[in-house]
Amino acid sequence: MASLAARRAKDTTIKVISTGFAIFAIFLLAWILWTLVARGAPALKLTVFTNVTMPPGHNGGLLNAIVGSLIQIALALVIGGPIGLLCGTFLAENGKGTKIGSAARFVNDILLSAPSILVGLFIYQFLVIPFGGFSGWAGGIALAILVIPVIVRTTEDMLNLVPVGLREAAFALGAPQWKVVMMVTWRAARAGIVTGILLAVARAAGETAPLLFTSLGNNSWSVDLSKPMASLPIAIYQYAGSPFDDWVALAWAGALLITVGVLLLNIASRLVLARMK
Amino acid sequence: MTSAVDPTFNIASSVAAKPDAPPAPTKIKVEGLNFYYGQNHALKNINFDIPEKRVTAMIGPSGCGKSTLLRVFNRMYDLYPGQRAEGQVLFDGVNVVGKELDPTIVRTRIGMVFQKPTPFPMSIYDNIAFGVRLHESISKSKMDERVESCLRKAAIWEETKDRLHTSALGMSGGQQQRLCIARTIAVQPEVILLDEPTSALDPISTSKIEDLIDELKQDFTIVIVTHNMQQAARCADITAFFYLGELVEVAPSDVIFTNPKQIKTRDYITGRFG
Repeated sequence: MASLAARRAKDTTIKVISTGFAIFAIFLLAWILWTLVARGAPALKLTVFTNVTMPPGHNGGLLNAIVGSLIQIALALVIGGPIGLLCGTFLAENGKGTKIGSAARFVNDILLSAPSILVGLFIYQFLVIPFGGFSGWAGGIALAILVIPVIVRTTEDMLNLVPVGLREAAFALGAPQWKVVMMVTWRAARAGIVTGILLAVARAAGETAPLLFTSLGNNSWSVDLSKPMASLPIAIYQYAGSPFDDWVALAWAGALLITVGVLLLNIASRLVLARMK
Repeated sequence: MTSAVDPTFNIASSVAAKPDAPPAPTKIKVEGLNFYYGQNHALKNINFDIPEKRVTAMIGPSGCGKSTLLRVFNRMYDLYPGQRAEGQVLFDGVNVVGKELDPTIVRTRIGMVFQKPTPFPMSIYDNIAFGVRLHESISKSKMDERVESCLRKAAIWEETKDRLHTSALGMSGGQQQRLCIARTIAVQPEVILLDEPTSALDPISTSKIEDLIDELKQDFTIVIVTHNMQQAARCADITAFFYLGELVEVAPSDVIFTNPKQIKTRDYITGRFG
């Protein structure tokens, strides 16, 4: 048996090493955030929100990209939210131990970790080419496909946390299953479900790959879903690689906006959880 | 094991034999009931009469099948594939175990209160109104009356009348359980099944619920599963003892607890096992 001193030495060593790595990881994150704020904040002028893309040196902004992103994210939420919610509900309430349930859960797990560029490619093949061009629809649907598996998974997990007794109590009053689900189990799990949806949206908000060959990006003002549509991630992608200083600055401003948006969504989801509990 | 239930024994008449009790017709008649959890034969050829507007207690050690039988009465087992019942449970002459009968109808007429209080995540008022709205569409004022009368019957009106529209989750365990009883009454069932309704409650809440059971038998047929033999002795007119999926003995409670016919029953109530 090792002596007490040796055990203490080992304990201290492990503590020092793990603390060191923790500090390193936090340092990296802090560095990224610092760079983002240091480069993004000075570029965040009012014209960023009021002007659309302009040639270099003409005081352009991100208005078209911001609005485009909001539209496509809203579309993803409207399409993916109900599908994800209902699929997750099926898995938790009816799909236990059934073949279709296991198959759906398996496919969902794969989708959850599928590279997002694959989703873009899929939409390109089945929506962009047949309908003759890039469009906001294609971008929104690609984002919807990304949010669905996240919502399915969190919905199923949250519904599984609802005590069986609560369901049985509702059934014992003579309620049909759809009422039990809508009035009791969804209600009991709503904080978790809403959080899952917000986090899924937050994830989709920063995705570039699925938009590259679906909504493509658009340098002009356009809210027409059947035309190519701008978005923040694509704008960042275009601007950051350009040789013009003011475009690069806009890319940083856009990156800061996305990060703040995702941060706000995360805070909102925590507030929802805290308030509903 | 020979059939432990004396075939000549008639519960209705033996209850009637008590000087203070009028004759009670049979409300639920269990005939040749077998129940299976998959391969597991959980209830074996149960024959059992439950008299109307009486309290019938089902006792026995864990796993004896008493809760299983309770869950057969309101078809709760239907929610789980792999569980099945064979035989008959005649409720006013209708076989509730029959596949052709819609379980939601059975559950409307045979209500159930569970071991753990299960308030829905909504207001006290809506907890009651939820069940009523499933089966009736009544005006706001009629609903107000129904909610009040059910809360009164469940002896919880005084504690809740000023907070009807606050969440039911903020109540104490004992209050929640009485709310669950009120909610069950609100659907106007004929039978109320109680599955160990006080085992998660403190002694004061327990005695309130027991008093309530005494009140409720004026209007409802009550079947209670309990681990607590004193509770069965206090509350029940009739007590049935189950062991390993069989009904060992059923008799008026004073007989079961003072002079049981079966050795197994005597051993159980005197605490030799269980």
